[in-house]
Amino acid sequence: MQEIHAGGKPLKKAYVAIFLWFTGRAIQAAAKVDKEVKKEFDTLPDEFTFALGSLPNGPWMVVGKEKGKVKYFGGNLKCRPIHLRLVIKNIEAAFLILSFQESTALATTRNRLMTDGEVPYALSVIRILDIVEVYLLPKLIASLAVKRYPSWWPFGHKLAGRIGVYTRTLLGI
Amino acid sequence: MILPDYYEFCCRVQIVAGHDALEKIPALLAEMGAKKPLIVTDKGVAAAGLVDIVVNALKEGVTIGGIADNVPPDSDLKVVNQLAGLYRDNACDAIIAVGGGSVMDTAKGVNIVVSENATDLMAFSGAGALNRRLKPLVAIPTTAGTGSEVTLVAVIKDHEKHQKMLFTSYFLLPNVSILDSRMTMTMPPFITAMTGMDALSHAVEGYYCLQKNPLSDAHSLAAVNMIHQYLSMVTKNPADKEGRLAMAVGACLAGISFSNSMVGIVHNLGHATGAVCGVPHGICMAVLLPYGLEYNMHKRRDIIAELLLPMAGEDVYLKTPRAERADKVVSLIRQMNQDLNVITGGRHARYFSEVKDRDGKQMVPRDVLPEIAKAALFDGATIYNPEDSDYEDNLLVLEAAWEGKPLDRSKIKKG
Repeated sequence: MQEIHAGGKPLKKAYVAIFLWFTGRAIQAAAKVDKEVKKEFDTLPDEFTFALGSLPNGPWMVVGKEKGKVKYFGGNLKCRPIHLRLVIKNIEAAFLILSFQESTALATTRNRLMTDGEVPYALSVIRILDIVEVYLLPKLIASLAVKRYPSWWPFGHKLAGRIGVYTRTLLGI
Repeated sequence: MILPDYYEFCCRVQIVAGHDALEKIPALLAEMGAKKPLIVTDKGVAAAGLVDIVVNALKEGVTIGGIADNVPPDSDLKVVNQLAGLYRDNACDAIIAVGGGSVMDTAKGVNIVVSENATDLMAFSGAGALNRRLKPLVAIPTTAGTGSEVTLVAVIKDHEKHQKMLFTSYFLLPNVSILDSRMTMTMPPFITAMTGMDALSHAVEGYYCLQKNPLSDAHSLAAVNMIHQYLSMVTKNPADKEGRLAMAVGACLAGISFSNSMVGIVHNLGHATGAVCGVPHGICMAVLLPYGLEYNMHKRRDIIAELLLPMAGEDVYLKTPRAERADKVVSLIRQMNQDLNVITGGRHARYFSEVKDRDGKQMVPRDVLPEIAKAALFDGATIYNPEDSDYEDNLLVLEAAWEGKPLDRSKIKKG
């Protein structure tokens, strides 16, 4: 019997892979720069690891805690035990979400983003992702990605955070 | 009305409603090929004589495989395993759940164990772990509130590990739900009031939360209409057969709505208040519902305004200026709480500072509000609420709900 595979979408897959690679590094950076992100990670257990990616064959982003530090572990799901997977239904949906045409919350309500693991952990991770997106993206785009853009943050806080997150992300520190 | 780009809706429960709906159970069991059901219930329901009514209705053509009335107020893993043993020992082939939310959840847990021949219920927790039909389950609610007779969720508590296990699957939907006015007739006014407000919170939150869709909307609107019309009436006159049936149907409609559209900040803060202070869920819903609407008003004003028509009728709807309709909905819900408070001689709480336990002790001391606000950050309902909420937002709402003052909407952080 001949197996039929879904058609590849190389450009969309490449976009999603680059986005996840950059965001993974940005989360690692934000955990050092932003107090709220650090606080969220502090509530998660030691060695906690989560993955965000697309079915059926990725790409994935694996981020976790190692000896008290937050690290981006690349895109291999087998690199270490994973406690929580935020799973996007397919690459089309991943592109929709990660190109900010649909917020995380809306994607969840439309059953495009699913949680495999404990809900309280997933909520912490979503809060972390929201903060990181606010640092990485201009207000106009970030407002599409998060449920509520934190316009009440002082300008200096946002600017310093943005510089810190971008510098560390690009340097991978 | 919002037409989402994509949505899912499912309710494949056969609903049988009437003043003598219980008598239909033997025929329904026969259709499902079942002859020997296990009845799962709790001591309160049994003591109220409700199980006797069910047993009398089952007389012809059904052999009762056993009656287990030891379901605790919080479902319990040990009880689930024990009842699964009873089901197997007595060679039962169906389950009849008679009771409120805990009984329904326990029956669903038992059904997983006996259908999957499982030794570890935990292996089936989470979403999508079940992938085939379970044994026939007939749900007979004895409150008009939880809607669990039509929901796909079960929560089972492991008291030893202090864990709550959540199970979600379309296979957990009961095959049949029986809404019979006799089942709620003996419910005391205070319980009638709070469970009715629980049902209203399902209908209203189901109408304004993010997963709403035209099909869930239709159920919400019908539910709001019935509950608003009948709740005070049956609380005042518990023997009102028509009213009891209307409330059972209203709660069922609300259950269908929210199990498809989900719920938001009212349930989010309510779950946390229940977990921290042990306040009954219905009371939390009654107190928090107006505040949930106020919190989301800047994002959902037009949608909330649409609830005025099923609540107050055409005359009031048309006489109320468009811009004031949503606020009128909030004030009508506050008025319902006020009326229920009077009818129940003060037992139905309108705000958290009024909630007392049996010894008259305040159940929600003001100094625990920060703990509740923090606990709410880890409750899944937050995802479906239109407006985001952080610790400070939660505290803002809780403090207003504690004092009984309308929410100061100028303090809500807007994006």
